[in-house]
Amino acid sequence: MTTITILGDEATTASGQWVDGHPLIEPDALSAAIGWTLKPEGLCRDDMCVPVRDRSAIEVGDKVNLAVAAEALDRPTLVDPDAGAVVLGQPNATRRAALLDRQAPEFTLADLNGVDRRLSDYAGKKRLLVAFSSW
Amino acid sequence: MHDELADDGFGVIAVAIDEAIEEVRVLAEGITYPVLMDPDHLLTELYAISNVPAVVWIDQHGRIARPNAYEFGSDLLTEFTGRTCGAHFDQIREWVHSDALPEDAGSSIPDLSEEEVAARLHFRLAAHLRRAGDEAGAARHFDAAAQLAPLDFTVVRAAMPLRGESPFGEEFFKILEKFEAAGSPFHGIDPAQNTA
Repeated sequence: MTTITILGDEATTASGQWVDGHPLIEPDALSAAIGWTLKPEGLCRDDMCVPVRDRSAIEVGDKVNLAVAAEALDRPTLVDPDAGAVVLGQPNATRRAALLDRQAPEFTLADLNGVDRRLSDYAGKKRLLVAFSSW
Repeated sequence: MHDELADDGFGVIAVAIDEAIEEVRVLAEGITYPVLMDPDHLLTELYAISNVPAVVWIDQHGRIARPNAYEFGSDLLTEFTGRTCGAHFDQIREWVHSDALPEDAGSSIPDLSEEEVAARLHFRLAAHLRRAGDEAGAARHFDAAAQLAPLDFTVVRAAMPLRGESPFGEEFFKILEKFEAAGSPFHGIDPAQNTA
């Protein structure tokens, strides 16, 4: 068993192992990492389940392949066994909803005092979202 | 803008696509609206942002009223960028007071390519590895990111200070030359067509 770094909405770790370059983690760690649980009917969250096409790719022994699970949920992934890390992108559908249906994606980010703020904290107002940088 | 229209149901939210919190603090001095840190560049993925500044108008229902546009909050860089902020401010006032939107608000913005998405993941891993002290691993992923999205400033220019390079140095001007030769691609309303 080793520690796998997971960079998703935030950085977390899960105990698991690398097998042939695949990140295998405990089923419990899957829900902690991505908020979905592997059940007989597929990947589930609340009342919703997404069917899993290739069960043998996602379920390996008593472990779950994190990258395959994330991809089944439309999250782009980057796997680097040398770095012991898996990067989980935001669901592609969220960005497409922004670009095609004009739904502003929700986000949570810390302010300069380290306090988490959400876009929806300012719901009910017209908002100018300004992305800037020091570089 | 924020203070002028604060009583009219309007607010600014600034997000630094950046991990240099002390530099951002300097830029944010005197600012009364929230300034958030996005060291992992989540917004560049969620909103398909490729350069800064990028502004998005979001209405009271959480809908995007005007997508990514290249607009500045001051005229400090006008000489360099050729852009002034006055027209944009006037458009915001009209929108806040009468819901009127500029012509370019309906512009459709294409999705990121698979390469552009992958570049963002490589950048995120590189930034993480650098913070963890793995310079070699960071360099490998910064390079991979730059190969996948060589003209995306949130990928290549943002990496410069993290790689010990100056974002205003020789290397940047090489990238800028290529960027301009490619027509200065901006993921959003084409700055050349911008009606502001």
